[in-house]
Amino acid sequence: MNETTLLLNYLVVGALLFAIGLVGFVTRRNMIIMFLAAEMMLQGVSLSLVAWGRYHGDWGGQMLVIFIITVAACEAAVALAMILMMFQASGKLDITFWQQERESNLPAFVDQELPAEPEEPQHWPTLTPAGREPRFDQEEVIHRTHV
Amino acid sequence: MFDFLDVTTRMTLVPALPLAAALVTALLGRSYLREHSHWPTVVGLALSFVVSLSLLFNIRDLAGQAHAGHEPHAAATAHPASFRQAEAASETKPAVGVEIVHQLWNWATIEGAIDRPERALPATDAAALPAALPFKIDISLRSDPLTAIMLSMVTFIATLIAIYAAGYMHGDPGYWRFFSYIALFVFSMTMLVSVSNFLLLYVFWEAVGVCSYLLIGFWFEKPEAAAAGKKAFLVNRVGDFGFALGLFLIWSTYGTLNYHDADGIAGIFGQARLMNTADPYVGGGLGLAICLLLMLGACGKSAQFPLHVWLPDAMEGPTPVSALIHAATMVTAGVYMVARCTPLFLASQMEPFVYGGTSISAPTVVAVIGGFTALLAGLIGLTQTDLKRVLAYSTVSQLGYMFLGAGAATLAGVTSGMFHLFTHAFFKALLFLGAGSVMHAMGHVIDMRYFSGLRKLMPVTHGTFLIGSLALAGIVPFAGFYSKDAILSAVHARSGEEGVGLVYGVLYVTAIVTAGLTAFYTFRAFFMTFYGEERIPHEAGHHAHESPWPMTLPLVVLAVCAAVVGKWCEVDHWFGHLLEQTPSLAYISQKHLPIDLRGPFGQFDIEIAALSSLVALAGIAVAAFLYLGDRREVDLLSKWLRPFYNASLHKFWWDEIYTVLVVWPTKALAAVSYLVDRVIIDGLVDLCGWIPQKLGGTLRSLQTGLVQFYALAMAMALAVLLLTLIWPGT
Repeated sequence: MNETTLLLNYLVVGALLFAIGLVGFVTRRNMIIMFLAAEMMLQGVSLSLVAWGRYHGDWGGQMLVIFIITVAACEAAVALAMILMMFQASGKLDITFWQQERESNLPAFVDQELPAEPEEPQHWPTLTPAGREPRFDQEEVIHRTHV
Repeated sequence: MFDFLDVTTRMTLVPALPLAAALVTALLGRSYLREHSHWPTVVGLALSFVVSLSLLFNIRDLAGQAHAGHEPHAAATAHPASFRQAEAASETKPAVGVEIVHQLWNWATIEGAIDRPERALPATDAAALPAALPFKIDISLRSDPLTAIMLSMVTFIATLIAIYAAGYMHGDPGYWRFFSYIALFVFSMTMLVSVSNFLLLYVFWEAVGVCSYLLIGFWFEKPEAAAAGKKAFLVNRVGDFGFALGLFLIWSTYGTLNYHDADGIAGIFGQARLMNTADPYVGGGLGLAICLLLMLGACGKSAQFPLHVWLPDAMEGPTPVSALIHAATMVTAGVYMVARCTPLFLASQMEPFVYGGTSISAPTVVAVIGGFTALLAGLIGLTQTDLKRVLAYSTVSQLGYMFLGAGAATLAGVTSGMFHLFTHAFFKALLFLGAGSVMHAMGHVIDMRYFSGLRKLMPVTHGTFLIGSLALAGIVPFAGFYSKDAILSAVHARSGEEGVGLVYGVLYVTAIVTAGLTAFYTFRAFFMTFYGEERIPHEAGHHAHESPWPMTLPLVVLAVCAAVVGKWCEVDHWFGHLLEQTPSLAYISQKHLPIDLRGPFGQFDIEIAALSSLVALAGIAVAAFLYLGDRREVDLLSKWLRPFYNASLHKFWWDEIYTVLVVWPTKALAAVSYLVDRVIIDGLVDLCGWIPQKLGGTLRSLQTGLVQFYALAMAMALAVLLLTLIWPGT
């Protein structure tokens, strides 16, 4: 595998990571998930930089990446602290709750209604029971409903 | 006395002590001194007086030596060396008058500030002046007979007034503030007469104005007092503007502002210039302009027509302040300045400005202003019912007398003007403090229509006020008689001259008439206050009794002074002989000046004395006839002379005339300026704010508050940027 192909492979992975992170950041509303998505974008960029560094045969890319990691650590500390404070203030992790910080004369963004549940009870296909009924661990049941 | 102190140290101490008192009172008065706030001021002023007196004796000794010398005008000049060197120098170097100059420090120096004017002279014959002269201002104090007399008079009167004020102002919430201002006022005035430079004279001229503003508006919660303070300040500004222009002219004409010779340049009243036999002072149109601008400044400070309107309103201040302003500080500054600038005025007299066949000389203008003011104020004083206002107009009138004397522009004239200033200080302070005593007893009612017959109630005030009134009216042997007579003689001496003789003749008659008016209104006030049935306004309450000793003691001291000071100075004319040794005045008796200017001071003319005494006695008699009886005649008289009575009562409508001529146009201008400021200036500023606001408003709809929207916008923008960068062909 020659150097260019190697570079391309890494760049493709880096671009994918960045794109997934970007889409995640734009579409998700949970602040922690958005934060993770942002981190993912950083990793995508970092990977590209490392790949370029390898391609050119110098340490510039790696140096920048270490720099990015340092900054990302600080950013993580600040971002998590802010998220914590915002959660304590509102009890929500939903970022749209903070849309009140918009210009005062603009209309509010309203969530679209979810499609209504069908009225009649759903009938799901059932299989014939076979063997004995398994015994549930009560503790596990409790946890399952919560997950 | 005080020989252990160097004479220059004492010259510094005279203003320094009041300044220290002012600072101590201002810093400690409110929290620590409180009701003892008068102590620093009284002690500081009293010490200052003792030091000035010792200085006066020094100067008198020097002048005596100068007088006894072979050279008729040889004198000692210490310059700016110490006193002992001055004595040594006096034997070798002839000089004009006696002066001691002491430089404290250099204030400002600008090298090569002005191209050498034609009139700039070198201080010594040997050295020629450079082509460009420096603007150099030294803080120099001077002492000569004129300054020493003014210092002694100012500090003496101010000390007595401070003692009096300790009783009068007792219990006032601003007690400490009052004494701090008083000390500052005296500091400014002592500096005003001590400095040896026109610029510093201007500085302390303004300082006196500020102090008078603070003191006239002392009870600033009272709208009238605040307005009176403002009026005094603004009217003085008009005069000060003229004064400033005069200084500019002096600077550009003589190339220096110093009185004394300094840095090789001859001062304006320095020895080099005074001894110069050529033509050291500028006459003609320029000389007249300088003198008239200086006179405008003097009119403002000394309340002469047309700037006399502030002085009566200044009665809103506490009475000790009125006494201080009217007797010792402030109003005497103008007369002092004209006396100091005598050589300038003389130059205008010897080379008048000729316009269309008539020649105008500055002294004549001064004399006419003085005489007219004396008559005008005397006429207004006839009908005023406010005791303090009667005294205020009498001050304006007496100041007119002083200017009349100074305007005679002979040695006798200027000396008699200063002599009148000196005696007037004593009896006018006495009269004001007496009025204050009455006011104190009457619960701050000062309108003479509400009280009468107080002579049994206030025997000390009555007796001292009588002495003051006799002195003011000019009755033998009280102080006013001698000084007024000296002025009348000086004016009369000039009425025989060709050309201006007629003017001085008319002024002489005016002065005689004014003497009668003075006697009349003084005794009218005296009779209305102290004679007739005993009436006391209800505001007086339980206050209606003789004042406490801090108030009566100064009255008695001043009464003794008012009684004897005229005769005392008359004995062998020591006042005139001393004053003659002031450099500015010694100049008059110089050989190269016309002989008729030198006329001896205090030439007692029995005819003039008899005439003025008769007129004064007639004034008193008329006052007694009208106001000692049941006053029916007064009503009759005021009915017969209705238009005149109204004019006098309304002060000849000067306030109203100024309202129309000055106040209204100024207010209109202010309104226009307000509109321009509001509409144009503020409009521009508002526009500068409005444009970015509207521009920014168009982008406001992007601020949705949705974080994802912002992130998307960034991503899209990035995409657009990338696309442009990698677009093929670019």
